[in-house]
Amino acid sequence: MAKVLVIADIKQGVLKSSTAQLLSKAKAIGAETAVVAIGNNIGSLVPNLVNAGSNTQYIADDPSLEMFSAGPYASCIVDAAKQFGASLIWFGFSESGKAVAPRVAARLDIACATDITDVKLDGDQIEFTRPAITNKVLQRVKVNSTQLVAVVRAGAFEATAGITGTENIVKLTAPAADLKAVIKQIISEASGEIDLSDANIVVSVGRGAKDQAGIALVKELADDLKAGFGSTRAMVDAGFIPHYKQVGQTGKIVAPTLYMAIGISGAIQHLAGMKGSKVILAVNKDPEAPIFNVADYGIVGDLFEVVPILREEIKKIRKA
Amino acid sequence: MKILTTVKKVVDVELNMHVKNGAIVEEGLQYVMNAWDENAVEASIQLKEKNNAETTTVTIGGGEDVVKVIRRGFAMGIKNGIQIDDPALAGADAFVSARVLQKVYEKGNYDLVIAGKQAQDTDNGQTGIILAEYLGLPCVSNVIAIDVMDDKHIKVSRLGDFGTEIVEIELPAVVTVDVAINVPRLPQTRGIMTAKKMPIQVMNLAALGASHADVVGAGLKSNIIEFIAPEARKTGRKFEGDAAKVTAEVVGLLVNEAKVL
Ligand SMILES: Cc1cc2nc3c(=O)[nH]c(=O)nc-3n(C[C@H](O)[C@H](O)[C@H](O)COP(=O)(O)OP(=O)(O)OC[C@H]3O[C@@H](n4cnc5c(N)ncnc54)[C@H](O)[C@@H]3O)c2cc1C
Ligand SMILES: Nc1ncnc2c1ncn2[C@@H]1O[C@H](COP(=O)(O)O)[C@@H](O)[C@H]1O
Repeated sequence: MAKVLVIADIKQGVLKSSTAQLLSKAKAIGAETAVVAIGNNIGSLVPNLVNAGSNTQYIADDPSLEMFSAGPYASCIVDAAKQFGASLIWFGFSESGKAVAPRVAARLDIACATDITDVKLDGDQIEFTRPAITNKVLQRVKVNSTQLVAVVRAGAFEATAGITGTENIVKLTAPAADLKAVIKQIISEASGEIDLSDANIVVSVGRGAKDQAGIALVKELADDLKAGFGSTRAMVDAGFIPHYKQVGQTGKIVAPTLYMAIGISGAIQHLAGMKGSKVILAVNKDPEAPIFNVADYGIVGDLFEVVPILREEIKKIRKA
Repeated sequence: MKILTTVKKVVDVELNMHVKNGAIVEEGLQYVMNAWDENAVEASIQLKEKNNAETTTVTIGGGEDVVKVIRRGFAMGIKNGIQIDDPALAGADAFVSARVLQKVYEKGNYDLVIAGKQAQDTDNGQTGIILAEYLGLPCVSNVIAIDVMDDKHIKVSRLGDFGTEIVEIELPAVVTVDVAINVPRLPQTRGIMTAKKMPIQVMNLAALGASHADVVGAGLKSNIIEFIAPEARKTGRKFEGDAAKVTAEVVGLLVNEAKVL
């Protein structure tokens, strides 16, 4: 039987939705499930890890693991993978996952895949699908051994309602710190904001908004909707928006129920980050903008005129 | 400081691409330097200008387009270029490339390897990190700033899940860079002219002192069975005209038709 080890995605002490999504998929393909959680003071997350669908919980809980460091995190995962006898090792989509997965694969000398959107098992045979070349193609890939490390693309797997697991805690010894790459400080993103990757609605602002006043206008729409607030690389490069809000190939991959692209042209690198959204609304004054090729609903117009009306109309129906 | 920068020839993603019978149609495609590798080259040239670093690029692959990529590096300001060209390396994956780069590194006594965060054709983001594992060197990925502290240390900023991480790294080390690190300079006519005449050190595996088994091991860990054209989103509707009217109409559709508001 396949054995899936999922790396728990923990952010600011909260277990993110990808963990239950990956464990659900593991169960759906008939695999035995385990989770590995790494951090400091994470003991209280055990019930969440169980409820997310894991039958074994490998826990690396140590002050030295407070801040993310790829080397020691990889050591914890390799340790858990060996103890569990994992055949599939899955990371939710994150920068940490992308940094650690290749290390784990190199240390275990097994195949590595970034951004998988599907996986199929046929006995010991593993096959997966993933986008490549800025989402221009999909690849179907056959693994030549019985093990695979993979980062799963955001939104690829859905959590099964009512999923649960059993508690079976295995404590891991904390590995030595990486003394050759010492993390000194994290200049953290503002707390209390809605996490883009978890948001049900995402409103993103592009260069069409021009400046802070334009951004503020679109941000108000996001706030009304309690939506995640994203942007494009053009706005990040211009210094208007912090990096962690960038949606796209080099930013966050999002797949919300509703994505609103406001004043965004729709470059392929941006599309690569949001094309998986269920419904896309675009507002752009250029009727030829490529964003309209992927938008379910496109409003051709000036965002400075359209956004205030959008807010009013949404307020009306919310009241009704 | 000696810097080795890895650069790769990739397909130009801005051009149209078609899939036929499980393969990508080659006709009409053009090749360029991987975008993230342009940032890696720019980063190494900035270290040359600021800290007197010696710059070398290495690329694995053969053909005219690969040579062009090396020459582009020269034209931007790179000093030395190495090309590893061997038919046995066709179809090399991240693990094989990392083994080859390991051999190149071991021949050169480098202090720092700068790789792109990912290649635009594979979108893997694996090679630099696996190389560091093979070399037993510290590695920081997704780097957006590099500062030299002293002969043995650099300080980098990395975009992580929790914000910008500031990491001090002991050299030798491997970093992979994100497009946010800099704006790659455009080669100028003079540089392009000089670049044409600069020598490229071309080696096959044997010249590198490696056997096929050294770099491929027990064989590729995975194989691409086929390429598939992604499903296009179904065509949506575009609304033009009076802003108040069309916006109200679209909000109505989001509520009643799409049921997402
Ligand atoms: C390797 C690489 C990686 C990249 N990664 C990313 C990434 O992760 N994410 C990303 O977003 N980009 C990425 N890019 C950049 C990408 O190619 C585009 O440059 C970027 O997405 C453009 O941002 P934009 O749509 O905000 O700006 P623009 O392309 O300038 O578009 C602005 C749009 O606003 C419209 N507009 C102007 N005024 C108004 C108005 N008053 N009302 C309504 N509409 C208006 C215009 O018609 C235009 O369509 C990457 C590029 C490379 C090479
Ligand atoms: N064939 C190659 N030659 C030189 N460098 C490469 C090659 N393949 C990958 N790299 C480097 O590794 C990075 C990541 O590639 P990848 O793991 O394929 O996403 C690229 O940006 C390059 O810097």
